[in-house]
Amino acid sequence: MRKALPSVLSIASAIVICFIAAGLTRGFGTAFDAFGAMFWGAFGDWPKFLETGNAAVILRPLGESGTKAAILIFTGLSVTVAFRVGLFNIGAQGQLVVGALTAAVVGAKLEAPGFLHITLCLAAAALAGALYAWIPAVLKLKRGVHEVISTIMLNWVAVSLVDNWLVVGPLRAKASGDNSISGTDQILPTAELPRLLGETSRLNLGFVLAIIAAVLTWLFLTRFTRGFEWKAIGLSQDAARAAGINVDRGFLEAMMLAGAFAGLGGAVLILGTELKYPASLGAPWGFDGIAIALIGQGHPLGVLAVSTLFGGLRAGGTRMQLFGVHKSFPELMQGLALLLVAAKLMWERLLRKRGTP
Amino acid sequence: MPSIRVVWPWGSGSVNWSSHPSLEICRIGSQKVIELRHITKRFNGVAALDDVSLEVRPGERLALIGENGAGKSSLMNVLYGLYQPDQGEVCFDGQVVKVKTPAEALARGVGMVHQHFTLVPTLTVTENVVLGHEPTRGGRLDLVRARKEVDATCARFGFALDTGAVVRELSVGSQQKVEIVKALHRGVKTLILDEPTAVLTPQEAEELFAVTRRLSDEGLAVVLISHKLREVLSFSTRIAVMRRGKKVGETTPGETSAEKLAEMMVSCAPDVSPRPGTGRGSGRGADPLPIIQLEGVEGLSLDLFGGEILGIAGVDGNGQRELAEFITGLRPWKSGTLRFEGKPLTSWTPRLARDHGITHIPEDRLRRAIISELSVEENVSLGRQTHPPFAKGLRIDFAGRRARTTKLLEENDVRPREPALRAGGLSGGNQQKLVVGRELDSEPKVLVVVQPTRGLDIAAVAAVREKLRAQRARGCAVLLVSLDLDEVLELSDRVIVMYAGKCTGEFARHTYDERTIGRRMLGVVDA
Repeated sequence: MRKALPSVLSIASAIVICFIAAGLTRGFGTAFDAFGAMFWGAFGDWPKFLETGNAAVILRPLGESGTKAAILIFTGLSVTVAFRVGLFNIGAQGQLVVGALTAAVVGAKLEAPGFLHITLCLAAAALAGALYAWIPAVLKLKRGVHEVISTIMLNWVAVSLVDNWLVVGPLRAKASGDNSISGTDQILPTAELPRLLGETSRLNLGFVLAIIAAVLTWLFLTRFTRGFEWKAIGLSQDAARAAGINVDRGFLEAMMLAGAFAGLGGAVLILGTELKYPASLGAPWGFDGIAIALIGQGHPLGVLAVSTLFGGLRAGGTRMQLFGVHKSFPELMQGLALLLVAAKLMWERLLRKRGTP
Repeated sequence: MPSIRVVWPWGSGSVNWSSHPSLEICRIGSQKVIELRHITKRFNGVAALDDVSLEVRPGERLALIGENGAGKSSLMNVLYGLYQPDQGEVCFDGQVVKVKTPAEALARGVGMVHQHFTLVPTLTVTENVVLGHEPTRGGRLDLVRARKEVDATCARFGFALDTGAVVRELSVGSQQKVEIVKALHRGVKTLILDEPTAVLTPQEAEELFAVTRRLSDEGLAVVLISHKLREVLSFSTRIAVMRRGKKVGETTPGETSAEKLAEMMVSCAPDVSPRPGTGRGSGRGADPLPIIQLEGVEGLSLDLFGGEILGIAGVDGNGQRELAEFITGLRPWKSGTLRFEGKPLTSWTPRLARDHGITHIPEDRLRRAIISELSVEENVSLGRQTHPPFAKGLRIDFAGRRARTTKLLEENDVRPREPALRAGGLSGGNQQKLVVGRELDSEPKVLVVVQPTRGLDIAAVAAVREKLRAQRARGCAVLLVSLDLDEVLELSDRVIVMYAGKCTGEFARHTYDERTIGRRMLGVVDA
């Protein structure tokens, strides 16, 4: 628990700093209302619920928060597992794009009964992401290419290939009648992730899958010998090799699992909310994953908590616009929190050094 | 590109050398004798230098020789101001002087070139040489003047250096010249070279010695720290021999030979009378087959039998480390065959080596044996993390791991007995006890041990040695690599001497003669 303290304090100070910034520009009354709206929008309007007894005022915001959090959890886990073996996966965005497109294509072109169709879409997306992450892993092992460089560049390859060619070219949906349509074909209803709250919110099975993934990852990393081997690799490749651990295999496995998680994030985005590969994916989910993983300090459950918080704040952030405060404040908070977490680690190290010379 | 730590031995301040008061006494040609009188220096109670007296005279080439850890570098570090002596004094021309920092040593005309260069790779030769006392004009660096001055220094001492070249692009030999020019440019009159040829090719070494001869002709004193007898004999005008922190003799190349020097360096018999080993093969049965056979692996051949301790003697860097890495699977080989119990090995990895019952106590424990961020018990499981009692199937067996760790800490007297503690929180000695305990716990068939007692206190050393003997009695084949010849001689049933990557001699316990071994270690072949 004490390890979580720097993250909690960083997030809290980031929120406070942003509140002050909003207050200074828009007046503190407005800032107060706007931030209130953001929190109610994120985690439910509890006062209104107690007043009216209408459950929807809680469930709808929470549902939206969970929908956004699900994708952040997947990309956050992607960065986290790669980090465990000491690799920095900047390529979650590219892996997510590849996974999302695969899910959209399998969801639209393949016909299968409901449950099977969803499973096939998810499996295909995970595989696509894993294969896309396999490229930088192999480049590193065979040619010594640093994974930061290769994953960054592969992001652009994925975006160019998918957004700038496939989605506007060969895979673009056929226009029916006069309406011009952007993006790929709609996925079949059998491939849609079931909604958990009916019509109240877009919350879907993806959120449950994300939580399961986070808990399983945590168990794998802490309870299983292979997880321990990954940790050893991440801390000291030389010692791990001398202890008979196959370091190359560890890199390959962790990187492919990272790609699979990012791909699943893309699949959940398509099968849960977009229902086709749109002309634009909206948010840089993969890059947010890096921030989430770092604020969560490489702990799968930390990723779960941080994703839920920032997913929520983003969902609620749109309501700030009603008060003339820009909706990008939650992103600002995320960036500030990341900055402060990095500084916190530095502080801790400084204090520790002074304590034991 | 690896990061390079840059240390300025003369401090970071800028000194105007043309007006420095000490310049008078360090002008080349003025007569000055440096005396080190009765120097004693202890580290944690162990005497690195024990009542050493030495004189450095102008115009001479003094060689300071001895084994690793004999105190050669320590003595020169005292003169260069890096160490303060516990007893004894440093005299310049009969005057007692306290040299507190390298900057003060430089001001008195003493310069030292270390094995590891202190150059900025991205700067030019000129910039490196003037760094710290750059000539300026109106507050701005005057590189034109700097280059002229450095060129003048080079010309004066006969160095052929392109002073505009970037240091990164120079050969190692040229970089060393830059280091020497750097010292000379500051008006150094006594130049100390710490094992300068370790990084040089034979041709570069020849060139270096030609340069030093010119320097001594100019009246400078050159001190060479070395353990290579041949170069010492060809280089020096006087030789001082050190052994175990003491100066054991002074001589000149004319009145000595490589054999005599080697004898002086190593002739001291071990303090502890060697406990008679049970002899080669006493612990194993009638099985005459060696467990490990190297047949020309990168030019190296040897047999290792069960129930023996095979000692590898040699000066650091003569292939012992590589030998240990071949056997433990850490280093692939291109030529030759490595056999395990008679079967030739085609693919060999640390995992396979461990599965065959080969364990390793490496020299660099923080790099290869211990992960300091992991807990003590996690470190104990390293190497056997997928086997009982550390694992149940695919899962970690937390209870089994804790129980085994507790037992291991107790048996090996690792303090504190705290399985959940970060391993980095243990002292070096306790970390080593942990590694030794862990590697022996798996009841190995072959144990490869490199420098097992370095940094341990006397009680721990005795305990580790006793454990190695117990492994031999069990029938384990022990390969002991140590730079401490006494340790090798005391423990081994057989000793193999390595020099320049080859085995240059094998001695059975009853036939070995320390002097012969010592000569072989230094590459001297018996006539």
